[in-house]
Amino acid sequence: MADSSSASYIHMVQHMIEKCLIFHMSKEECVEALSKHANITPVITSTVWKELEKENKEFFKAYEETQSNQEQMSEEETNQMIQKIISDSSKESDD
Amino acid sequence: MLALSPATRDGCDGGSEFLDTTCGFSINPEDDEFPEFADHGDLLDIIDFDDLFGVAGDMLPDLEIDPEILAGDFSDHMNASSTVTTASDKTDSQGETNKGVSEKGHEEVVSKRDDTATESVTYDGDGERDRKRKYPSSASSKNNEGKRKVKVDWTPELHRRFVEAVEQLGVDKAVPSRILELMGVHCLTRHNVASHLQKYRSHRKHLLAREAEAANWTRKRHIYGVETGGNINGRNKNGWLAPAPTIGFPPPPPVAVAPPPVHHHHFRPLHVWGHPTVDQSVMPHVWPKHLPPPSNAMHNPPFWVSDSPYWHPIHNGTTPYLPTVATRFRAPPVAGIPQALPPHHTVYKPDNGFGGARPPVDLHPSKESVDAAIGDVLARPWLPLPLGLKPPAVDGVMSELHRHGVSEVPPTASCA
Repeated sequence: MADSSSASYIHMVQHMIEKCLIFHMSKEECVEALSKHANITPVITSTVWKELEKENKEFFKAYEETQSNQEQMSEEETNQMIQKIISDSSKESDD
Repeated sequence: MLALSPATRDGCDGGSEFLDTTCGFSINPEDDEFPEFADHGDLLDIIDFDDLFGVAGDMLPDLEIDPEILAGDFSDHMNASSTVTTASDKTDSQGETNKGVSEKGHEEVVSKRDDTATESVTYDGDGERDRKRKYPSSASSKNNEGKRKVKVDWTPELHRRFVEAVEQLGVDKAVPSRILELMGVHCLTRHNVASHLQKYRSHRKHLLAREAEAANWTRKRHIYGVETGGNINGRNKNGWLAPAPTIGFPPPPPVAVAPPPVHHHHFRPLHVWGHPTVDQSVMPHVWPKHLPPPSNAMHNPPFWVSDSPYWHPIHNGTTPYLPTVATRFRAPPVAGIPQALPPHHTVYKPDNGFGGARPPVDLHPSKESVDAAIGDVLARPWLPLPLGLKPPAVDGVMSELHRHGVSEVPPTASCA
């Protein structure tokens, strides 16, 4: 029956999306990755992603937050860290 | 040559028909290997049924059951025949007629008996399935005695109860007999439980090994995270996926999380083998407790670790190297990342599509690792879902797809 093969296909796509989530990829990145590595039609990936989002709202909400957090904070941290290390290294080189 | 085909086994009843080629037995009289079939009537004795039907350990015990069943059937037949006789006796007006009737009745019984006997023999040949189908109650009752290894179907529900029982007892302490007691399922033998337990333990070990590996990798990231300036408010230090607040996942440092909780929090009910999807009832049980770090996907510690020095320069545009960091990671060649360090700002963007706007602090995955992860799914789709998100309704997805113009899933037209 077409149903069971569709179901298992969708399940497989979900599995792949989850792997991408572990990599912390965005939806776009995920669509691209699945299309590139597994020949999954982008529309299928994005549909399954959206449906997953609907079923797991909390998870995706937190996921989004983490994504945006990274974008905001890391720059500052990066800068701070670099400054720090540069100053450290200059101290060291002085010795 | 004695050519035996399964289909014809059923048709052969009675020694006199053995030489009949309609049975599919072609016996070459010139062949010296055959025993002499002096009297066809004894064929049943001469022929070793084990050779014909195959000797399996559980074949012999069948014979113990069948007589019971036969007895059961016989009683029916006997009743029938006795009814016939009594009926005929009652209507007795002419002795001969009655005798004729009763004899016929007996003949019927006898022939039925023969049929039953043959049938049972044939069923033996056909294997357990028929037996189970025909005599389900007796088959299951025999399970408890462990006389026959009936294949147990470990449904997700059954497995769940098994895991509950094991959890209660403690994995290492779990003894099959106690597990059975706790499960309270009657159709399982201790042996069934014991072998399932063995599989479960080895599966767990495998998973734990993988997670330990992932934990090591996580630790390295953590070390890295320390150098990125300490605590990140509300965010997991390593850019870890942290839907933690909402889900109750233990917050960083991940180092502390990984090894000890692996044994406690991480006691996640394992996937039921042979079942393509993870039991839904298991899911809520699973991921609130412990959101597993990417076990499969993240086996590239060298990559991750050495990735980091590169991203600093991108934002700053200043020194490509951070001495402390660089010392650590200068050596290992990074797969998939252009090695040229001086042209630091070219390193990341093409590979990871950052476009400058997006900081790669989350150590963006390399194509190789993503490819490997996806390939893993393609190769072994029956593996448990790493996150175990609640799957969407297939109908919902299909209707959405139809709206977008996708009629077939999987699509036959190639994409990408």
